[in-house]
Parts: sequence; structure tokens; C-alpha cells
Amino acid sequence: MSAAPDAPLPPFAERARAAVKNEKLHIALGRATDALGSRRSTALGSLPNSDLVRDVARKAKMDMLHDLAGHLERFEERLKANGVHVHWAENSAQLNQIVVDIGRKNGVKRIVKGKSMASEETHLNVALEGAGMTVVETDLGEYIVQLAKDRPSHIILPIIHMTREEIGKVMHEQIHVPYSDDTQTLAGYARVRLREEFLRADMGITGTNFGVVENGTLCIVTNEGNGRMSSTMPRVHVMIMGMERIVPTMHDLDLALKLLARSATGQKLTVYTTMFRGPRRPDDEDGPQELHVVLLDNGRANLLGGENAEILGCIRCGACLNACPVYKSIGGHAYGDTYPGPIGSILTPELRGKGEWKDLPGASSLCGACRDVCPVRLDIPRMLLVLRNEGNKEKPAQLELRLGMKVFRTIASRPGLYKTAAALGRFGLRLLSKNGWVKWAPGLAGGWTQVRDLKAPAKKTFQQLFRERKAKA
Amino acid sequence: MSADARTAILARIRAAQRTAYIPDMKDTPRTLEPQTASVEESLARFTKELELLGVASHVEATPDAVRARVKELIAGKRVLAWDAEHLPYDVGSLAKDAILGRDDRDTQAGAEIGLSGVHGAIAETGSLVVRSGKGTSRTVTLLPPELVAVVGREQLCFSMGELFQKQEKAMAGAACTIAITGPSRTADIELQLTLGVHGPGKVTVVVGP
Amino acid sequence: MAVVRVLEKLGIEVEVPLAQTCCGQPAYNAGFHGDARVVARHTLDVLGATTGPIVIPSGSCGDMVIHQYEVLFHDEPAYLEKAHAVSQRSREFSQFLREILDNTDIGAKVAAKVAYHPSCHLLRGLGVRGAPTEMLRGVQGVELAEAKDQDECCGFGGLFSVKNPEISGDMMGRKLANVEASGADRLVSCDLGCLMHLGGGLNRRGSKIKVQHLAQVLDEGLSK
Repeated sequence: MSAAPDAPLPPFAERARAAVKNEKLHIALGRATDALGSRRSTALGSLPNSDLVRDVARKAKMDMLHDLAGHLERFEERLKANGVHVHWAENSAQLNQIVVDIGRKNGVKRIVKGKSMASEETHLNVALEGAGMTVVETDLGEYIVQLAKDRPSHIILPIIHMTREEIGKVMHEQIHVPYSDDTQTLAGYARVRLREEFLRADMGITGTNFGVVENGTLCIVTNEGNGRMSSTMPRVHVMIMGMERIVPTMHDLDLALKLLARSATGQKLTVYTTMFRGPRRPDDEDGPQELHVVLLDNGRANLLGGENAEILGCIRCGACLNACPVYKSIGGHAYGDTYPGPIGSILTPELRGKGEWKDLPGASSLCGACRDVCPVRLDIPRMLLVLRNEGNKEKPAQLELRLGMKVFRTIASRPGLYKTAAALGRFGLRLLSKNGWVKWAPGLAGGWTQVRDLKAPAKKTFQQLFRERKAKA
Repeated sequence: MSADARTAILARIRAAQRTAYIPDMKDTPRTLEPQTASVEESLARFTKELELLGVASHVEATPDAVRARVKELIAGKRVLAWDAEHLPYDVGSLAKDAILGRDDRDTQAGAEIGLSGVHGAIAETGSLVVRSGKGTSRTVTLLPPELVAVVGREQLCFSMGELFQKQEKAMAGAACTIAITGPSRTADIELQLTLGVHGPGKVTVVVGP
Repeated sequence: MAVVRVLEKLGIEVEVPLAQTCCGQPAYNAGFHGDARVVARHTLDVLGATTGPIVIPSGSCGDMVIHQYEVLFHDEPAYLEKAHAVSQRSREFSQFLREILDNTDIGAKVAAKVAYHPSCHLLRGLGVRGAPTEMLRGVQGVELAEAKDQDECCGFGGLFSVKNPEISGDMMGRKLANVEASGADRLVSCDLGCLMHLGGGLNRRGSKIKVQHLAQVLDEGLSK
């Protein structure tokens, strides 16, 4: 049973506070982000001309966005010529209905599922179960998330937040295997259980890493082989695809593949890179009879129309998560929706609501580490700033801040006023200070003293000192 | 219904394209030529990458040596194999009783080792490239816990880009093409590596002349 | 003042336009771009009236003036031109020193084990990686301490520090733990925001580590 879209989320500040206090989470996050970060560095270091490859890959994605509609039309043409069924879904409800209908039409009872974040956006599993079909997640991390009725906390490592002991307990309780905290044993349990599912399933559902416009190739990558199993054993294969996940040519696919695994896990290539051209051929001994692709909009077209269109070039590698010090402090669940980390701080407000989700782009020091590691050089800090501006328009900031900004703008454009205001501020702080330090301040400034002290300002300002020095000279 | 959605979506996209801010990249080239290399260089790189992946490899100088090696590797195990006519160096003659792709699924699932050729290989990443098709069942390189893949030296490309260029027609004729880079693995649990999750956990490559 | 003293000791005449107030970054980063423009226009008017190199003793202000102004005014041709002209003349302090000096040893002497913290705006915004550490290495008696994850953000981030205090504090804690573990007795940076934040954190922890701007180290070293 899947975790349903559910109980109202506590406010971001509360989620962040709880996460920051979670010692166990921190240990897990530190271990994972350190390891993945350094593996990425090594892997990109061994890629000749990696900077150029990244630039050209970015260009391919930006090129594609310039005429997304034309590309999609050509893509659909090729897919159909290859015998693939193409469906279009404007939103979550439509996507879920399309997949349920495919299942019903084919008498599907049992479904195996490879990783698809787009399907998590739409809560597809809940809809399928509601229609009487069983769905088993087959990516090991997602399988355990499903058993634990939890949510993934990282794009590449869904259960980075769980310890071996927790995983052992979940498996023992949910699938009645002897308790173990040995990783090989636990993975072995999953292998046996899931093999049964693969061999008996009626339908396989996977995501799509890339679609290639020029020939209708559909590409998925997995390390475990669950993607291959889900797309080879059952008689129907459905691929869920965010409609922006295309590249114009096989040359572009090559570049994207060169960057994806290296950026995500430090591998040169994911173990299984599967490129589908269509359902099984008449002479094939295996493969699905029917291959379906469901193209999902769900807010992407609107996103394309704005300042942050380039985010649609994201290849979902997760490198930004591993580089982000905020993610390192709060983990994936605190982001509250399908996509965590820097990518999530942009996608969630863009796709779900800029006013409602403005806390996410606000929760960044704009350090730029994400932009440094992004394989397609997405300018994430720029996009976060756009969202802060647009988020404030949709849902005005707290009164204190808005007034503060108006005051700031007035004072900082009039030098005379600025000096007076600054003098008052310095006076106030000196009143609050003891032995040269302020340990407590009211209002918004209280946020400062919550976690650190504030040095009391000097008696004379820099400009005063400078003028005195000049006078002496 | 999906047709209406299609119309609506494309219209929305076209409207969006008019106002989209998409950064310009005037000075960046649109394409990069894929890297190529001589057979010797490719072979050297291929075996090096296989080693890094934990894949055992044997480079044999004659078809006899290839057959001897394969015989050793599959000895005493239940084999699931490509059809003999698709296996190079007459390796098929060593596995006359092998389970085949057209046998029923449960029988296939009982195999202990897979025996396949390849349709290509990529030196830069140590990858084996196989296509679906009659006699070259996908299950052979997927179901058994072990895999022996026999590669002809001339099948090596240096890069994936080169392979795409050379094999476009062949890839168009197959339902799917898979690049296999190392044994099946996961590190989902506390980042600890486990091999052999759903695909073979042990892969051995025999390269012939 | 340390900046002024160091520049004057290097034989440079320093002018401080007294009408300057703030670069406007707090409003810009908080998403109040309209308010930011008002403040930025004033700053551009003041700086535009000067001639010669402009030295900015803070990485974040530097990035704002040198890069972000052109983004902020992308649709205002008059101020876009001013922004461009000012940007060309502007340098962050360590960046400026590195450009005008052949020898990074300017005669400063300080005995200290220094952990250097690169501010994000300086490192990634302005691309200044080597200049500060080169200047520090040029000081006789300074030993550079290697801190783990040296390039990671300290958690200041402007208004982020007060709007998201728990996260800011957590990032600060990580940075300070790494600095303490490096064995440094001083923490040096080129950004006033980072210095206030990390200095305040060290004080709260009761740490003996001294916190200084690069200019203060050089000033101290030249005053002996």
C-alpha cells in the first residue's frame, strides 16, 4: 500500500527545525553527500573536456526548449512509426486515468514499477491500487520506502535517511523475513521477493530518463536491473515521461549519458542503459507486446513560459543535492514534496504554486555550489531569486519584512537619513550589548541571536574615522 | 480525450515559447565529434575498464583458446544461452543442452549462468552492447546470477558516440538495445555495495581474435 | 579602516565617497527587486561620479556591484550602462591587491595559524580563488591550516541568517567544527557578513579563535 497524498504539512520552519535536530539523519546525510560528492569529482575529472561536454549538453537542452512543441510533435511521429502508443496528460488526474485505463483494457492485476519521479508527482500508485491493481516498486530503495509507507528523501538514494537496522525491521515486519541488519542479506530478500513479482506481473511501469526526438528512442538507466526486468517480463510496458525529458539526437543522448552517471554516483555509466525502439518484434522471444508512453505536462508548459524555463533542462542527476549545505542540514523530507534539494526548491513552487511554496526558495544562502556541479550548468541561484521575487508578489511577505524593506529603500537612497538611522541602530545595539557583545535582540533580529552573538558596533563609524584621518593628514 | 489533451498541451507550449527566457549559448558548438581509436588502443582500454568494474576478462588469441576458456567458465552449470548461430567462435557447440530464449520462463529462471555474444562493445566505459531479437533473448544477460559474454575484437568501438554512428540501422531494427556496464549492483542501503540484485552479479568477458 | 591603511601603505591614494549607503543586496536577495533598484540607483549615481579603480572590501557587495547590477537593470538602458561602466572599474579588495602587486609579500609579519574561509560570492560569484590565500602566504609567519570542506558555505546568506536561523546555525556549526579541528588560531575571510556570523558563533561557543578580515591581518602585520 502506498502512502497517500495526505495530512497537511507542518510549516517549513517547523520541518527544518525538526530535521536540524535529527542527529541520525545528519550522520547519514554527511556520509552520503561526502561520498557522492567526491565520486562525482573524480568521475568528471576523468572525462576528457568535461567543461566543453557540459556546455554542449546544456546547449542541446536549451535548443530543445526553444521549440519544445515542434520537437514533441516529431518525437510522437517517430514513436508511432515504431509501434509505440503515445498518450498526453495535462495533469495528474489525466495521467493516472490513462494508466488505469491501459491496465483495465489489458486485464492487468499485478504491476511492477521501476523508478519514476513523475509518477510520484501524480501519486499514480494510489490511483492504480484504487482500481484494484497491485503495484510493487522494484528499485530497492523505493521498494523499502513502499514497505515502510514512507517517502524517498533523495533523488538517487531514496532511503539515505534510513539505517540498516531500520530497514531490517521494516522488512521483517512487512514481508515476514527473519530480522537482519546485514546489507547483503537484506538485498537478497528483495531479490527473491521481487523476482517472483517480475515473473508474474502483467504490466511494467517505468519512468523515462531521455527520449530521442530524431528516432523515437526511449532510454532508461538502472544499476540493479529492475528497469530491464520491468520492461522485459510483463506483456505491457508503460513509460511515464515528463514532456521535457527529450533531446533532439542520439549524439545528444550520448552527451547526456556521459554526464548523468558521473554526476549522480561517480560511475562512468549506469550498469544498464536500455534504449527502447518499440514493443517486441514478431520474431522476438521476449519483450512487451505493447509499449506505451505517457507525456506529462502538469505545469511544465507554464514553467516554460517564464524566467525559469531553463530548469526544464534538468537531467535529474541529484548532484545539486549532494553539494547543497542546506540539504546536508535538513535532508529530503523537509522539502515537503516530490523533489528535494535545490532542484526541488525550484520545481515545487513552479509546478505547485509560487506563493504557497515560497519558503523553499527562501531556504538558501545562495552559495552557488549547486550551479558549480550541475552537469548542464543550470543557474539555480538566479532562479531562486526569481522565485523569491515572484513568490512575494503572489503571497506577500510578513508585514515586518515588507515594512522593513520600504524603510531600507527610503533610508539607503538618502545618505543623510542613512547616517541618522545607522547611528540610532548602533546606539540601540550598544544598549543591548554586554562586554562588547549582543546576546539577545528582538523581532526579526532575534533570529540572529538565536544561534550566535552579535558584535556590538564600534563607537565611531568608518566614515567618521576616515574623515578624521584625512583631516590630520 | 488524449487527443484533446494533446491539442491543449501543444497550444500551451507554443504560447509559452513566445515568452520563455532561455539563455543564449552563441559561442558554444552544437556537436562534439565522438572519440575513436585503433583496435589495439580500444582493446587495451576495454580490458582496463572491465577491471575497474570488477569484471574478469580473458583475451584469447585463437578461436580454440576462446572455446577452451568458455568451456572452463560454464563447466558444471546449467546454461541459458543465445542460439548457437548467434554465438561467435562456434562457442555454441559447447552448450548443446543449454536452455534457450524460447524455452518457458520458469525453466529459464532456473539457469545458473548466461552465455551470450554481443552486438558491440564500448572501450571507453567497458560496456557490452546487446540487442533483442530472435535467438538473442534479453533474458540471457538478465536472469541468471552469472554471465559469460564473448566479444570479437572487431566489435569494439572506442566510444558510445562512435557505436551510435556505426550501428544506427541495426539499432533501428531491434526492439531494444542495452549497454551493460559491470555487474548488477545497488548501494541504496547505507551506501554499502551489494552485487547481483536483479541482473547477474558476476560477469566475465572473453575477447577473441 | 584597515583597508584604507593597507592601501595607503602601498602608496595608493584612497577616496571614500561619503554619500554611499548600501549596495542593495539585502532587498535583492529577499525578492524585493523594486526596492533593491531604488537603492542600487543611488549607489550607481554615487560610484558613477568617481573616477579610477573602485575597491570593495566585501565579496558579497563586490558580486552585487560587479555582476548582479547588470542583471537587476537588464531592462533599464540608462542604468544598465552605468552598471556596466562601474562594474568594469570595480574589484574586491584581495582581487585588487593581486592585480596591482607583483610580490604578495608586502612586508607584513604575523605569527598565526590561519584557516581561510572563502565567501561564496567571492569564490563562485567573482571567481576569486587564489588571491586571498596568496596574500596570506605572503605574510611572514602565517601558516595556512587546512579545514575540511573549506569551500562549503558558512550559512550566513544575508537575510537567510535571520529568516532560517536553525539551518543557518547548523551550517555554521559544521563550518566552525571543521575550523576548530584544523588547529587554526585565526579565521580569516574577505566578507563582512561571513565574519560577523562566524565571529558571533565562535563567541557563543566560547572559542579563543580570533576572527579577522584579510585587510586586518595585513594591517596588523604592517604595523609592527
